[in-house]
Amino acid sequence: MTYPDPDDPAHPARPSVRPFLQSGPLSAGGYRPAPREEEPPVVEQSAALRPFVITSGRTDGTDPDIGMETQVTVNPTAGPVRLSPEMRAIVGLCFEPVSVAEISARLRLHLGVTRILVGDLRAAGQLDVHVLDNETPDPETIMRVIRGLRAIT
Amino acid sequence: MDYEQSPDRIVGTAAVGSGGARPKKAPVPVKIIVAGGFGVGKTTTVGAISEISPLTTEAEMTSASVGIDDPGQATAKTTTTIAMDFGVLTIDQTLKLYIFGTPGQSRFAFMWDDLIKGALGALVVVDTNRIDDCYPAVDYFERAGLPFVVGVNTFNGQMSYSLDEVRWALAVREDVPVLSFDARFRGSVRDALLVVLDQALDKAIRQKSSYP
Repeated sequence: MTYPDPDDPAHPARPSVRPFLQSGPLSAGGYRPAPREEEPPVVEQSAALRPFVITSGRTDGTDPDIGMETQVTVNPTAGPVRLSPEMRAIVGLCFEPVSVAEISARLRLHLGVTRILVGDLRAAGQLDVHVLDNETPDPETIMRVIRGLRAIT
Repeated sequence: MDYEQSPDRIVGTAAVGSGGARPKKAPVPVKIIVAGGFGVGKTTTVGAISEISPLTTEAEMTSASVGIDDPGQATAKTTTTIAMDFGVLTIDQTLKLYIFGTPGQSRFAFMWDDLIKGALGALVVVDTNRIDDCYPAVDYFERAGLPFVVGVNTFNGQMSYSLDEVRWALAVREDVPVLSFDARFRGSVRDALLVVLDQALDKAIRQKSSYP
């Protein structure tokens, strides 16, 4: 991918906007890209850049313990700290146990971004990530799922 | 979304949430994969069994996987976002079943390693008109040793081929169940998932007896 040079006077750097803000009502103060016909690719690329901005440039380093179904809750003993808007939004969802996939879906954050941020919040002591002791489910757990599934109509 | 309006809120246990209630004990999550090509009824399957309407999470497809995708007019783009639907079924207070729907084509295989980790098993949804869509998923689950079941989605009760013909076309092992189900009906999806769980139970018991 080629990134636009922010110092190039022909294509000045512009703040990028999250997709759901772009779709919101413009009257609500949403940032509106100026209609410039000669450079539509820049709009495309700035949207693609956003996940890297949120994760401070990281694209990997995801904690392998954090799966899509992994349950996350707030750490009740965590002290108040200043967090990015995305991180605040994640913490705000975790008062009830919630899965990483649900966080990603509800906040419309990419799954990879969500996993990195959840890992950061865990390292910062804000979230408890409930890692399972045994990776493969035991027969007793599977039996419980079977009984529960049979019970539904 | 409330974080858009509160740029300077300080996060603490008392500052956010409803009354600072202590989080409940987290349930144990288990998951089943629903794989299949576009339009075979994955989302319908997930939606039929889920207690919430299916949620969508997005993952990035890296440049390495884009080659076989139709480049079209977006050739300058090196990442593509793919959507994945999933649903939830609460078994009880301490156990939650997640059902993840994932595209079955090989160009999406980059995310399967993550997906199958800890998964109970998979339901491969097949449309008999486009049976080859599911070959990569079948190949992958066979190699990964994940218990799976082939489920032929009978649109309107119609099947172009018999289950024996589907089994022959897929060349799956004798012990892999091939069944038909209707993705629109909860009871039908439930029965298909119960066959997946049967396979998962068999495997778990075999593993437990070989490594006591």
